[in-house]
Amino acid sequence: MTDASEELPPPPRPTALGPMDAGGDDARRAAAPGVAVLARGHLHPAILLLRLLDALRQAAFPVVAGLVLQSWWFVGFGVLAFVLYLGYALARYVTLEYTLTADELRVREGLFERQERRIPLDLIQDLGFESSLLRRALGLCVVLVETASGRGVEARLDALARGDAEHLREVLLAPRARAEVRAPQAAADDHASAPPTPPAPEWIVHQSRGAELTLRGLTDLRLSAMFVTGYAALELADSLGVAVRLAGAARSAQEWLARFPPSVMAPILLGVLFVVMAFGVGTSVVGNLVTFHGFTLTLRGDVLQRRFGLLTTRQKTLPRPRVQRVTYEQTWLRRLLGCGVVKADSAGGSRSEGEDTAGGWDVVVPLARDATAAALLPALLPGVERARFAWQRGSARLVARMAVQGAALAAIATAALWPHNGPLAMFALLLLPAWTVLGVLVWRNLGFALDAEFLALRHGVLGRATALLPMAKVQAVVVRQGPVEQALGLASLTVYVAGGSPTCVPDLLLADARTLARDIGTRAAVAAAATW
Amino acid sequence: MEPASTATATDRLQRRVVGYWMLGDLLTTGVITALAWFVGRPLLAEHWQGWSTNLEHLLLGGLGGLTLLALVVPPLAYARWRYAYAGDLLLLRYGILFIEERAVPVKRMQHVDLVRGPLERLFGLATLVVFTAGNEGSAFRVPGLGAVDAQALRDRILEARGDGRI
Repeated sequence: MTDASEELPPPPRPTALGPMDAGGDDARRAAAPGVAVLARGHLHPAILLLRLLDALRQAAFPVVAGLVLQSWWFVGFGVLAFVLYLGYALARYVTLEYTLTADELRVREGLFERQERRIPLDLIQDLGFESSLLRRALGLCVVLVETASGRGVEARLDALARGDAEHLREVLLAPRARAEVRAPQAAADDHASAPPTPPAPEWIVHQSRGAELTLRGLTDLRLSAMFVTGYAALELADSLGVAVRLAGAARSAQEWLARFPPSVMAPILLGVLFVVMAFGVGTSVVGNLVTFHGFTLTLRGDVLQRRFGLLTTRQKTLPRPRVQRVTYEQTWLRRLLGCGVVKADSAGGSRSEGEDTAGGWDVVVPLARDATAAALLPALLPGVERARFAWQRGSARLVARMAVQGAALAAIATAALWPHNGPLAMFALLLLPAWTVLGVLVWRNLGFALDAEFLALRHGVLGRATALLPMAKVQAVVVRQGPVEQALGLASLTVYVAGGSPTCVPDLLLADARTLARDIGTRAAVAAAATW
Repeated sequence: MEPASTATATDRLQRRVVGYWMLGDLLTTGVITALAWFVGRPLLAEHWQGWSTNLEHLLLGGLGGLTLLALVVPPLAYARWRYAYAGDLLLLRYGILFIEERAVPVKRMQHVDLVRGPLERLFGLATLVVFTAGNEGSAFRVPGLGAVDAQALRDRILEARGDGRI
């Protein structure tokens, strides 16, 4: 374990924390507006420059198009958009003011319609810091505040000076640690002001190497990524006005290809396909290397911090007690190679399982070997090292259910295709074995394990996702039976936590599901009572 | 560690909830029927060449089916509905085609609402709505409680929470 290097931000400024320590609980309770203000600030003036660039970029297209087409409407529209955008940015810059007191973060903005957003510090789930290349050159950063609303970002401070943002972070994260220290003392001696605690040392939990990130890019074989890249390229081509020429080129290429016999055309097409695939893999490797460059996961006190990014640098805090669920996701290729991605959900954002949020905000470890990931878990979920997970399988009747569904689908498809295709429609009967094989695969990956403090679930078809949920975070348990499941005596179990999407285990035996639901419910109630 | 409680949802809803559901469903069906028959049908007959008496019969049949559903579904739903407040858990079990059993720890509840619509008041009923944190599947409804029972249940939940944070 190494200490924080000089790359990390400076230690908190004790002077800024002073008023709160001296005030103690009384001051906290009586904190009227204006009392015990820990930080107050505005957006950095350079935001105007950024907004000016944005406005110029937006206005450029209609104005240029208008000048070329000699349509003054377009030019007028562009100029109007420019003025409005800049005016809005100016108004926001002038009016936005954030105030941090011992209890809450207040963000006030608006020219005509003033709004003041108050976020109690207890409810802040995560903090995110984002800084693009341009912002970094200007010494700025965007601060994102997430609460448990489940809607993601609650407040967004567009441009703060780097120092202000760091100050804000230190102050925002400090009360959590102090409240825990002070709670027992307050009962004993109300007047004793806790001595200013020295900043806790920062431990490096995990640091991603370039090889890991490259592997992440290589195994990131998603068609969607290729489509996105392709679409971006098309858009670029379109905005440069070469799309028409490209279409012409494509037509001539088609004519050129048509002259060859099929035996020559096939290798050519395969070659093109290979080039496209290589392009996709290459962009995803570069994309992953850029997004997650220098990924570092550290732990300071009870707060996890991630720092990463080459062009746009991101920092994200995640207080450990706020972790609702930790998932270890392996796509089939990564599972084959024995590695996977560790993600953590807080109550702030909501995402579906298996889906990557833009910017990698929820990624805790971009890629790790199975053993490394297992060794990391206790850092994310304290106490998980004590847990003994006895994995249990789902019911094999799951295969029967899938077979029944496959048979029904095959019958419907065959009946629907017969009038048109005749005996060829019999190929649809292959749905039955396909569904059965799918059922076997799903059954092989399905599993659950219950411990006093944690619930572990895993599922998948070719890949596999393993979810770890602290019992104390379980919000509700639902056992559900559809018509087919009722006939087979099966049931699915869904576990809800705050934020993130629910975790579902399908096709358990009804009795198992009920027992499990009851156990989880009771243990969740006990655990919640202990930690509320 | 407490032993896992063996409680299941045992309490039934008030019997009059069948009447309330039926009345509500029939009113909805009535509005849909009136709209379809007196507004939709003349419009279609006027502007669409393909309109025929066969389609008219189909429409009538569909509306009849809706009415039948409004009469059949409430007793079935009532027969299946169970709830219980046991230990620290609120247990629900309901559904006709899809059966759901839900368990909500009291400590996880964010707030509890009592809802009484005009029709419900007519029947002397109330609906208890329990919210947990999160955005998906975070509201749990117990319909068809007697007005007094519902208040008692809410008070018991509040008492169990004990810290007045609901």
